[in-house]
Amino acid sequence: MADLRSLPLVDASVPETATFAEAVALLFKAQVPALAVLGSDGLLVGVVSELDVLRAVFPGYLAELRHTAFLDDDPMGLDERARAIRSRPVSELARQVERLDGDDSETHAAERFLHLGEQALPVMEGARFLGMLSVAALCHARLDRAGA
Amino acid sequence: MDVVSAVIFVVALALIAVEWVHRTKVALAGAALMVLLGILDQDGAIESIDWATLGLLAGMMVIVGLTEPTGVFTFLALRVAQLSRGRPVVLVFLLAVVTGVLSAFLDNLTAILLVVPVTLLLADLLRISAVPLVLVEIVASNIGGTATLIGDPPNIMIGTQRPELSFLDFIVNLAPVALVTLLVVTSGLALVYRRHLRVDPVRALEVARLDAARDMREAKNVWRTLAVLLGTILAFFLHSLLHLEPAVVALTGATVMLLVAAEDVESALERIEWSTLFFFLGLFVMVGGLEQQGIVDQVAELLADISGGSPTAEGLIVLWGGAAGSAAVDNIPFTAAMIPVVESLQGDDFDDGLWWALALGACFGGNATMIAAAANVAATGIMDRAGQPISFVRFLAVGVPVTLVSLVIATFYLLLFQL
Repeated sequence: MADLRSLPLVDASVPETATFAEAVALLFKAQVPALAVLGSDGLLVGVVSELDVLRAVFPGYLAELRHTAFLDDDPMGLDERARAIRSRPVSELARQVERLDGDDSETHAAERFLHLGEQALPVMEGARFLGMLSVAALCHARLDRAGA
Repeated sequence: MDVVSAVIFVVALALIAVEWVHRTKVALAGAALMVLLGILDQDGAIESIDWATLGLLAGMMVIVGLTEPTGVFTFLALRVAQLSRGRPVVLVFLLAVVTGVLSAFLDNLTAILLVVPVTLLLADLLRISAVPLVLVEIVASNIGGTATLIGDPPNIMIGTQRPELSFLDFIVNLAPVALVTLLVVTSGLALVYRRHLRVDPVRALEVARLDAARDMREAKNVWRTLAVLLGTILAFFLHSLLHLEPAVVALTGATVMLLVAAEDVESALERIEWSTLFFFLGLFVMVGGLEQQGIVDQVAELLADISGGSPTAEGLIVLWGGAAGSAAVDNIPFTAAMIPVVESLQGDDFDDGLWWALALGACFGGNATMIAAAANVAATGIMDRAGQPISFVRFLAVGVPVTLVSLVIATFYLLLFQL
């Protein structure tokens, strides 16, 4: 069984001084569901996921509402909100998550994804950040090998 | 042992008030200590748990949990905002009435969880601050909850433990004073906040053209779910005629709801807040320990001494003392402890006036501080998560005057009609 180092990890990271807008642009471009936020010493400060970004772009109370179909457009001042957060440092959003280890098994990674509800987790070698592993990358590698 | 039991209870109350440890953990630890130290034997602990209260709470949690996906509560809040047409005083009154009525017939915590998120959205749409509106809603939820047996946890406990008091008795004796208090207090708050809630007419028009019923049209089984909810409320009105306990009504309603609703049973039962039920369970055992050790009778004797045996003085002490205790601690554990005290105080002659005094004190006292009622804690938690925190002091600035005015009204009411 291969360990996580042999999987296609994505070097998706931003420095903690990056702006919110830069982080979202990288999330979009790198096509991973979460980014690593690194300190000036290169150490992992935390991660920012697509859902974290969603919660920041849209009002916080949305998660408590179940019914919003009546909003046919968005008259809620979303532009002002977006303008206000664009240049804020991404470190404000950085969140501690469980880290995977380079020599963890794929099955262990799958179990952690299922139970943590995360779509991507950082893979580490000691304190060194190797890259982000996404659920899609994990499953794609598995299917690829089975088909080969 | 009587001193030890009192110390356990007072420490538990203090820990619940300062919120260092989750209140359910505190109540369970206190209950375990009471049994392990032999303050209360195991059979006594089981007997002291009021299963009817737990049944009523669990049944209502399922009923409300399964009604919520119909979108009817969002519809109500939106329609209210549309009807106000941007007039701040009207908006405040309509939101207070909707929250008060939902609190009375669901329960005040549920009403807050349903109404506050929609209010945040409304405030965003109208470009006004949500904080004044949410403060009005918290106050309205505690006052509205006072009106019925199921509206506020103190009333649920009193109603299930005193079979002499029916759902209709609660309405007849508490709803009028709750309504008057709601109108007086809301008028005051509307006056204070009217400048903060001026709405741009353009924004009001935007809200007016929203299709408030759209979510209800898209939800499944709306009408049969609402029919079960209304049927259950009707059965509460008739429960003493039907010779059914309120808990039986709630649990039967919940069962029918499970049969007709679209959700599967597993996810429907996840709506039951187990931490709340275990909190009550631990409290009942702790209070059972106090009763066993004679603390309850001692407190009752003390109150009787202070009042000089006059029922009027006793009633007013229960009202004001109940409010002060609820404000300082939390009205749920305080009421749990006061119920046996009032029982002991009234002796063999059942006096419903004392029970209404306790209900009014505990429920109105729930408005005084942020920790005084579960609905306040829930609402301020939502506001924190939405990035619009309400500070302890800001809450006090509204809560204390509101509570004082409510208690003055309750005092006149009790003196004129009950004591």
